[in-house]
Amino acid sequence: MPWSLYLALKQLFPSGKRFPFFTAISVLGVMLGVALLIVSISVMGGFGREIKRMIVDTQGDVQVRARGYLTNPDEVLAVLETAPDVIGVSPFAEGVVMLEHNSKPAFPALQGVDIDRINDVIPLDDYIRTGSLDLLDDDSVILSSRLAYSIGARIGSFVEVYSPLLLEKMKADEVMLPRELEVVGIMEIGHQSLDSSLVLVTIRRMQELYGLGEGVHGFSLKIEEGVDPDMAARRLNTILPDVAPHAFARSWMDSNQDFLFVVQLEKNMIFFLLIFIIVVAAFSVTSSLLIAVVRKTREIGLLGAMGGKPRDVAMCFCWQALIIGMTGTIGGVGLGYFVLHFRNDIIATFTKLTGSEEALVRFYEFSNLPAHLSDQDFWLIVGLAITISTLAGILPAWRAARLQPVEALRSE
Amino acid sequence: MSDVILQAEGLSKSFLSGERTLEVLRGVDLSVEAGQSVSICGESGSGKSTLLHALAGLDAIDEGELLWDGSTDTGAERRGRFLGMVFQSFYLIPELTAFDNILMAARMLGRVGKPERDRAASLLDRVGLVERADHVPAKLSGGERQRVAVARALMNQPRLILADEPTGNLDEHTGEAVIALLLELSQETQTALVLVTHNKGHALKTDRQVLMQEGRLIDSNSGH
Ligand SMILES: Nc1ncnc2c1ncn2[C@@H]1O[C@H](COP(=O)(O)OP(=O)(O)OP(=O)(O)O)[C@@H](O)[C@H]1O
Ligand SMILES: [Mg+2]
Repeated sequence: MPWSLYLALKQLFPSGKRFPFFTAISVLGVMLGVALLIVSISVMGGFGREIKRMIVDTQGDVQVRARGYLTNPDEVLAVLETAPDVIGVSPFAEGVVMLEHNSKPAFPALQGVDIDRINDVIPLDDYIRTGSLDLLDDDSVILSSRLAYSIGARIGSFVEVYSPLLLEKMKADEVMLPRELEVVGIMEIGHQSLDSSLVLVTIRRMQELYGLGEGVHGFSLKIEEGVDPDMAARRLNTILPDVAPHAFARSWMDSNQDFLFVVQLEKNMIFFLLIFIIVVAAFSVTSSLLIAVVRKTREIGLLGAMGGKPRDVAMCFCWQALIIGMTGTIGGVGLGYFVLHFRNDIIATFTKLTGSEEALVRFYEFSNLPAHLSDQDFWLIVGLAITISTLAGILPAWRAARLQPVEALRSE
Repeated sequence: MSDVILQAEGLSKSFLSGERTLEVLRGVDLSVEAGQSVSICGESGSGKSTLLHALAGLDAIDEGELLWDGSTDTGAERRGRFLGMVFQSFYLIPELTAFDNILMAARMLGRVGKPERDRAASLLDRVGLVERADHVPAKLSGGERQRVAVARALMNQPRLILADEPTGNLDEHTGEAVIALLLELSQETQTALVLVTHNKGHALKTDRQVLMQEGRLIDSNSGH
């Protein structure tokens, strides 16, 4: 061990002193900054991943949509199924309807899905809370949880569905009765806006409600794991024009570009702002090390008298900053993961104290606080924290190296 | 035949203080042989500390020649091995125990093996502080601190010890003991000693006495 490192360790953790306050406070600053970054970036990453999961789990990796609707779904389906990288295809038809139960109306987006194919693309089964997807037929419906709750429907209830087409016909004085559909399942995706608006029916029922005939609005596709959805969409677009000139394939990233951009921007902003906590902590490391240089002027002179070179004296202070940075970072990572581990308990306690539980769910649209830290973000935080706090040692080190031993020894 | 450990010829050093230059050393000649002890007396401000720093290679000299054991290499690299210094206010590292302070001298040369530890321990024993090995300087008395500093100066088996008023902060009796220890140890190990002191009694115990006056050293022939 070089003597500069030995001395740095001893100055941070002196012999015979049980608790080194100077060191503890410097380390604490870096630690808090790192912990806060870890927690915030994890939560942001968690939101991002949750959003991605929700998009993919409701839309598939790639969606093929037509302007208007596709009149030749079987032909397009055949082409899509044999396309490279595609491992699941399911047609859909969608539209807003009025839904009524016990005179309580709602205006959900009806999704017509092919129950034989949908599970190849979207793990819908995973989100059915009660009832079953297998029970879904042309005379039944699956409601999302919040919607069911708000109109007071449960398994076995009947809901009435009015489509725009039906209303058109009623205007033309034809006597039309609304469709009565039985609730056979309740599903929950975990995202508030979806859970209060999504309704599943069979695609045949949707075609009938919207007067599409055999037509569909598009297809949801599942792409082979590891294949970039953007690439897959681009490849599909080279073969699609042959069967469906008006149809276009887009990856989930592409069709949610604006939204994903905002999510990424928010994360970057938070990162940028929180990194300043570490910068501020580093300033306090600099100032306490500068004080140490002044306090230890005579010892620095002594080191010169003992044959120490200015470079090694400087290193002694760089080491101190590095050690503070490393200890703070390790502590911060530990504290960060600790907080993340208990995040839901912490929030539960907090919201119970302030009575704001509902607001949290409504505002953030998630019932549990998600957390996900990518390796890249983790190493970025660790690397930056250690780099910034090591830089904090440069000014004190430079001051120490510039001290002439004679001047230092004279300063009695 | 005795060999010359320290040879200074015509050392000059002046400081610029404001408008005027202050000539502190005006051609100092000094030669010290192995195992010899020399004391330097002189008024306050006569330039004794300045000379000692120059001899240690810590302060650049304006003119003159300085040889350590016949060589002009007086750089930091060699300093740690060639000489040890003792100061008026001890200058121990407060974060280190007495033992580690002594060992620090060896550490700075990159040597901390068993032989070095043994030597540090025996030096601690020699200065009578075995029981205080694990004490930090704050828990030692002035005399004990200076004894640790003496042991540290001897750690790397130097050829020369430069001591700048080592008893300045100690009471009469303790100072006496420290000087005795310095003389005894340098005698034992054939280490040359240059001792700056205000105390005539201490000065008389060295082999040779010189006086610093008007920037020069005058041999004040001991006369015994
Ligand atoms: N860096 C400096 N700049 C200007 N003047 C200096 C400097 N260093 C020393 N001097 C001057 O040089 C002179 C000699 O100082 P020095 O410390 O060598 O005296 P000294 O003999 O050791 O005195 P004392 O017995 O009080 O320790 C003093 O007048 C001091 O003011
Ligand atoms: Mg002096």
